[in-house]
Amino acid sequence: MSAVTPDKAAAAPMEQAAPAHRESLWGKAVYKLSRDRMGMIGLGIVLVYLIVAIGVWLGFWATEWGDVEGPKWAPMSAQYPFGTNIIGQDIFQRALYSTKTAFEVGLVVAVLSTIIGALLGALAGFFSGTWIDEIILWIKGVLDSIPFYLFVAAVAFALSGNPYAMHIAMVSTFWTTTGRLVRGEVIKLKNFEFVEAAKAIGVPQLVIIFRHILPNTFHILLVQATIVFVAAIKSEVILSFLGLGVQDGVSWGLMIAESTQEVLAGFFNNFVWASVFLFGLVMAFNMFSDALQDALDPKKVAN
Amino acid sequence: MRKLAWSLVVIVAVAVAGCAQEQKSNGYDPSLKVYRHAMDQAPSSIDPVQASNVYANHVVLNAYDTLYAFKYLARPYEVKPNLAVDFPEISEDLLTYRIKIKEGVHFIDDPAFPGGVGREVVAEDFVYSIKRHFDPKMRGQGAWLWQGRIVDLDEWKARGADYDDPVEGLRAADRYTIEIRLNKPYPQLTFTLTMGYAALVPREAVEKYGLEMSSRPVGSGPFKVVSYDTSKIVFRKNEKFRQEPVDIWYEGYNPETQGFSGVEAIQGRSPPFLDILEIDFIAESAARWNSFTKDNEVQYTGVPNEQVDNILLSKHPVTLKPEYAEKYFMYAGVEAGFVFQAFNLDFPEFGYNEDPERARRNKLLRCAVIKGFDWAKRNESFYSDIGVVFPGIIPPAVPEYDPDLPRWSVERDVDEARQLLAEGGWNADNLPELVYGTTSSVTSRQFFEQFRGWMKKIGYPSEKVKIKQFATFGDISKAWKNSTLPFVAKGWGLDFPDAENTLQLFYGPNGSPGSNDANYRNPEYDRLYEETSVMLPSPERTALYQTMNKMVIDDCVAITGLSRTRIMLWHKDVIAIPDREIVGGFFLKYVDVDRTGKADAGGSGT
Repeated sequence: MSAVTPDKAAAAPMEQAAPAHRESLWGKAVYKLSRDRMGMIGLGIVLVYLIVAIGVWLGFWATEWGDVEGPKWAPMSAQYPFGTNIIGQDIFQRALYSTKTAFEVGLVVAVLSTIIGALLGALAGFFSGTWIDEIILWIKGVLDSIPFYLFVAAVAFALSGNPYAMHIAMVSTFWTTTGRLVRGEVIKLKNFEFVEAAKAIGVPQLVIIFRHILPNTFHILLVQATIVFVAAIKSEVILSFLGLGVQDGVSWGLMIAESTQEVLAGFFNNFVWASVFLFGLVMAFNMFSDALQDALDPKKVAN
Repeated sequence: MRKLAWSLVVIVAVAVAGCAQEQKSNGYDPSLKVYRHAMDQAPSSIDPVQASNVYANHVVLNAYDTLYAFKYLARPYEVKPNLAVDFPEISEDLLTYRIKIKEGVHFIDDPAFPGGVGREVVAEDFVYSIKRHFDPKMRGQGAWLWQGRIVDLDEWKARGADYDDPVEGLRAADRYTIEIRLNKPYPQLTFTLTMGYAALVPREAVEKYGLEMSSRPVGSGPFKVVSYDTSKIVFRKNEKFRQEPVDIWYEGYNPETQGFSGVEAIQGRSPPFLDILEIDFIAESAARWNSFTKDNEVQYTGVPNEQVDNILLSKHPVTLKPEYAEKYFMYAGVEAGFVFQAFNLDFPEFGYNEDPERARRNKLLRCAVIKGFDWAKRNESFYSDIGVVFPGIIPPAVPEYDPDLPRWSVERDVDEARQLLAEGGWNADNLPELVYGTTSSVTSRQFFEQFRGWMKKIGYPSEKVKIKQFATFGDISKAWKNSTLPFVAKGWGLDFPDAENTLQLFYGPNGSPGSNDANYRNPEYDRLYEETSVMLPSPERTALYQTMNKMVIDDCVAITGLSRTRIMLWHKDVIAIPDREIVGGFFLKYVDVDRTGKADAGGSGT
């Protein structure tokens, strides 16, 4: 037996301990996610967008997105990397600024609809078969029966003038899928022994739901939040294109809306760059979301 | 197998030939003369009492008759008798008008009449039609034209709007003579009788169809409506329309500027010349353009802004590129109207303020905003750099326009704007929030963004220039009428070629909910307006108009203005000058279609 250095001696137990950390669902998921190349590329791109959005928010760049001093429809150049639009605005700055708009909408809608979906889904699942479940299912059924964009447009139209009309419209419809998934999971979980045990020792029902059951649905919520995030960004673009979305500011949807007339005149910069930015973020988020879904799928993780 | 292949070839050939025939004839019987016109909006009603916009007016003037009309080709615009035999006989005190109408004119055949046969149009029809505007049940929108003007008419409304109750100042002196008595002289009265609002409607039809009149015209105009919906209206020639041969020289024909169009071909013939007139309502400019350039759909279009650079060889003067000139006729002209922005002076942050010092500072603020506004750039961005920028509120389309007016108010000067703000003690912290109302269209939003960008340049913080979006034009109009917006951005189309029609936009008593959205109240301006409102056209009246115009400029009430240059294109087989400014829908009865293929080889006019 040869002597080992203190470094190696320390390293050995760590190497052995690493698989032990991955025993938990989360540990395995993080490991699996980190091994998913496409997922990591997606995450990297999303982080770049996030840095751009934070930079805009902090005022580091794209501060002159509203200036109109440039020439009409200037071509791409060192001064205007993506050219200018009909009123001489710098398309590069507007595309960057729109990243912040996308993240704002995505985050607000994803967080709120996930919270609402989690709460109502958990309540419906735990009290399945009771009037509480009936009412929540009825509300979900009603909302799901209305064509999505028609409903979002109607809410946004009814609340026009309210800067958060679009957010309200999306949150009020996006929570239903999350709610349905959480409900199913909670119905499964509520028959587990740990829940039976909690009931047996007299833990109040709401504590059981929110402290013991809901944390076990986080893997669903996380995946669902990423899906909603992407859906919110896409919906924002469509609503802004229709004039029902962003009111004060700029977004890729507004840029595409502006481009409808410009394209006919032979100027494509607004359309192309807004589409490229949108495509990049949506694609990256989808790649990340798919990887996350694979990583958090208990069946796949078990393998 | 070989037989089968040949059979298929024959079937396909026959089908293709059938389609081609169908396309060539626009879906109508090829023996008919058909003209397909295009407009950018559909009228919401085609009842004359609701003909409040250019689209409704276009349709109404073709289904109904008016006493007067604008000459087809005369520029500047001139009025001529239409259903009236001649111009009105006006008493010396200018208070009584007697108008004789043509005998033997009939309404179209309709079940509303006994036996379904249209009866003769009589003076009483005019009396009835004007009364309708004052009947609350009709929800008419044209009463403002005659409110307070005609003796006893407002009182008639107050008495309950009973049609059998006579109005002292509006009556049929005999079967064919109308008598109008005024409270005070109203030189623009004849102009108002050219408008769709003043079209003659038979009482029988209104009583039979009620609200259905909004989509079922029963008139005596050159055409009768076959079908009408939100996508198009189809007219058929009114075979009973009176025979009146056209004298193009009387109509103001100018061979130098209009000869290219071939309108000489209608000389001496009685309109209407078309068997079918179809007006397609196509809101999307790209769709309208595509329909026009397909060559087998609409035969007329206004040129969308985004196509101007593609089709024009030069802008000053406006000329087409050869490939377009070869295929289409063109006419370019300055619109009879203008676009402008105005402050709502009812807002003490920008307008009238009890504190004289604040009122002084507010004026400096308004002047600074005006100096920060870049009309040249606005013209370049949205009007292809061919609009006419002018100071004040008297646009180029009216005879009282003064091209030599100083241009201080339409020339951007950022330094001067900043200086004015400083003079008023304004800085980024104390400048008031400016709410800019727009509709949710892309162009409206870009107007706002451009405005905000210019304001930023003079030191108005962007976060203080806010947008407030309205879903429809109706919604924002309501906000203007209710005086809930501090800033008004709008356009105004002239009803008739007289500066009175724009000066009334700043007349104090017309304040919200009237047409004075700026709520400008200048006693001297109002006094002059009242003085000129009873004057006939004269150099003295023009001088007073100019004084009023200067008041609006000096008080920094409005950022004004620009008249757009309209470019119209139409197919070579259409014989027309389809200029809708002022003349409105009257021109459609003079449109003819050349089916011989001998149309002029090229040309355009302005």
